[in-house]
Amino acid sequence: MLELRNLSVHYGPKRVVSEVDLTLAPGQTLGLAGESGSGKSTVAMSVLRLLPRTARVEGEILLDGDDVRTMSWGRLRAVRWAAASIVFQGAMHSLNPVRRVGDQIAEPMRLHGTHGSVAELLEQVELPREKARAYPHELSGGQRQRVMIAMALACGPRLVIADEPTTALDVVVQAQVLAVMKRLVAEQDLGLLMISHDLSVLAETCEDLAVMHRGELVERGRTREVIANPRHPHTAALTAAFPVIGDPAHRWAEPAPEPEPLLQVRDLVVDYGRTRAVDGVDLTIGRGEIVALVGQSGSGKTTLARTIMGLRKPSSGRVIFDEAEVGRTGKALKAFRRQVQLVLQDPSSALNPRHTVFDAVAEGLRVHGLADEQEALVTAAVERAELRPASLYLESLPHELSGGQQQRVVIAGALVLQPRLLVADEPVASLDASVRGEIVALLLRLRRELGLASLIITHDLGLAWQIADRVAVMHQGKIVEQGTVDQVLLTPSHEYTRALLRAVPQV
Amino acid sequence: MRLAGRFGGAALSLLMVAVLGFFLFRVVPGDPVVSMTRGRPTTAAMQAELRAQFGLDRPLHEQFWSYFTSLLQGDLGTSFTFRRPVAEVIGERLGPTLLLVGTATLIAVLLGLWLGVRAAWRRDSAFDKVTTGVSLTLWAVPTFWLGMLLMMVTGDLFPSRGMRDTDTAPDFVSQALDVGHHLVLPSVTLVAVVCAEYALVMRSSLLEEMHAPYLTTARAKGLRDDLVRRRHAVPNAVLPAITLVFLRFGLVVAGAITTETVFSWPGLGLLFYDALTGPDYFLLQGLLVVTAGAVVVMNLLADLLHGVLDPRVKVV
Repeated sequence: MLELRNLSVHYGPKRVVSEVDLTLAPGQTLGLAGESGSGKSTVAMSVLRLLPRTARVEGEILLDGDDVRTMSWGRLRAVRWAAASIVFQGAMHSLNPVRRVGDQIAEPMRLHGTHGSVAELLEQVELPREKARAYPHELSGGQRQRVMIAMALACGPRLVIADEPTTALDVVVQAQVLAVMKRLVAEQDLGLLMISHDLSVLAETCEDLAVMHRGELVERGRTREVIANPRHPHTAALTAAFPVIGDPAHRWAEPAPEPEPLLQVRDLVVDYGRTRAVDGVDLTIGRGEIVALVGQSGSGKTTLARTIMGLRKPSSGRVIFDEAEVGRTGKALKAFRRQVQLVLQDPSSALNPRHTVFDAVAEGLRVHGLADEQEALVTAAVERAELRPASLYLESLPHELSGGQQQRVVIAGALVLQPRLLVADEPVASLDASVRGEIVALLLRLRRELGLASLIITHDLGLAWQIADRVAVMHQGKIVEQGTVDQVLLTPSHEYTRALLRAVPQV
Repeated sequence: MRLAGRFGGAALSLLMVAVLGFFLFRVVPGDPVVSMTRGRPTTAAMQAELRAQFGLDRPLHEQFWSYFTSLLQGDLGTSFTFRRPVAEVIGERLGPTLLLVGTATLIAVLLGLWLGVRAAWRRDSAFDKVTTGVSLTLWAVPTFWLGMLLMMVTGDLFPSRGMRDTDTAPDFVSQALDVGHHLVLPSVTLVAVVCAEYALVMRSSLLEEMHAPYLTTARAKGLRDDLVRRRHAVPNAVLPAITLVFLRFGLVVAGAITTETVFSWPGLGLLFYDALTGPDYFLLQGLLVVTAGAVVVMNLLADLLHGVLDPRVKVV
């Protein structure tokens, strides 16, 4: 059905895909794995000739025997969506924000003269038919991704290409969306080409797996075999980078014995208007301890973190740091914030694109009026974050750095004030598998060398297994379970924790 | 709730305008009584009498209070130069300005948005380069200079002063044709300036949308390029442009000052110019309240319209 022969793509002198051969038979499911920049999305986009004009494509792209590269525009438009459709990544931006989703689903049907009903399509993806009248922003992430799937199936294509379809979703929603896709692919005997950086997601859905690295296809085979016996070192690195819960080899933290409490949260309540976002939370973080706060999006974990940091006023309850209650006056808060630093999820948006690394790291010092020895402190922090030698990086701008390096700059910016607690909100969620491992190792090394405690907010239970000493599970504003990693992740006592663990895709 | 906030904000702005309108022109140099009586022999007693007549001899806060209370009743005072109620004078001049600004805005919106869309869609094409270059030039050029240049270039083709000839037949058709004829040069001048801005804003706003992932989705569905543009890109990109058009419409009313002065178009702009030479306090205050009020009202309308066009903005 789909055959790529010797496919290469160049942008100017840069070769992003080189000599890829790939075939997909009807009804076959193939996963295409790789890190960002490996060329996997470029391959996907080339199938419907959706690459920007600047791309130079060589080789053959045969879709049902016709070469997409040489098709006339009219023929190409007829083939798009009718023969093959795409479930795009990040459905928020892939749907037109000012048009109702029903119209957007119906649009290709009208265009290609397909009969069918939007309501039926929505029911197939388990959405109520009234949602057709909604605008994209009125739907949740999972619902939007379902709309994308319904839209992809609108013209009854035989091939569906899914480009990171679940990347922005939390585990539970991801499991639901993957289940819908798997069911539809099986029911309608579709060919599926699924692209992801996450091997466990591909392992859940695809029988075959291909791995790309730096534009080349390095491995191809049955999914089980590829994961169990990777032949290429890059595949091995990818499989190793995703922690398996319960596997001692993936447990990197060496638990500290009952440390003294550093931060205590007592009966904390935060209301947003009439909504209770955080509902009576008790949480303790010991000196040098790493605590993972896990839960789905909307569980209140980010609100809790912001309140702990003093960025939000609690409705009631107390935050005790180093045996003293944290004041609510500007001066007390400022002193407290110096001890507690925040690391955000997406380093590319957390850094000001016009500030050099030096400016970004030194900003905290300036805010806290510590202008003396600025250079020495910044250099030390940057080197602590393992950007060595610092002089190579200090004058760089964020866009000149890789994602992992950017995250190190964010961490350096936190370290420069010599804090005692890091609050990290999804610190590795936007990073590639290989880089992710490095950042996790860095956080652990900081704890070992500086005694730095961390509160890691994540929906990724694998990360919790890898790094944390203790885990707290948050659901609807309450902490439903907390304890050591072994207790919570291996012998969970609360039903919600078990549901979360069930949703984690297994390699 | 939100809607009430918007209206409240607009009301507050109008109040500020009213206060500012009074004090701003008291700072303008010149004595209205002296300019009123220029060229005629006057005694100090006569001048004092005039001052008393217009209330200029009273302390500033008393003057302000009487201005403010009568403003609330819709009374804008009496013009020194025209010796008639300000509201009446402004009312007479409103029509010509609305005609000029309305015509110019309509043409500028249609032309500017079309140019902007085409230029952005074919970025770096000859069309884009010419459009952007010409727009930037027109935008930078002083309006009065452009107006005078147009006058010189067109020679006797179009009348360059006033709104109608005195010897035109009184029937409607001839009058309309005559006004239309007079309208050509001022509206072309105004269009040239305003249209350039619309084209540039539309172009940059569409360029921002050009790489939006939902356009890739639309292409992948098999839509023709012009449908991708018309159905998906433009409805998103036009939102900031529409806000600008409305904001501008308010400003254009005031901004027509130079155009109207150059072409002696008997509108508010020319009136503003004349009133400043006085300075005719009451007339200036009235004009400021009316033109600034137009900006505030248009701003409010733009907000409301944005809420209707963009489902992400909840106005009510």
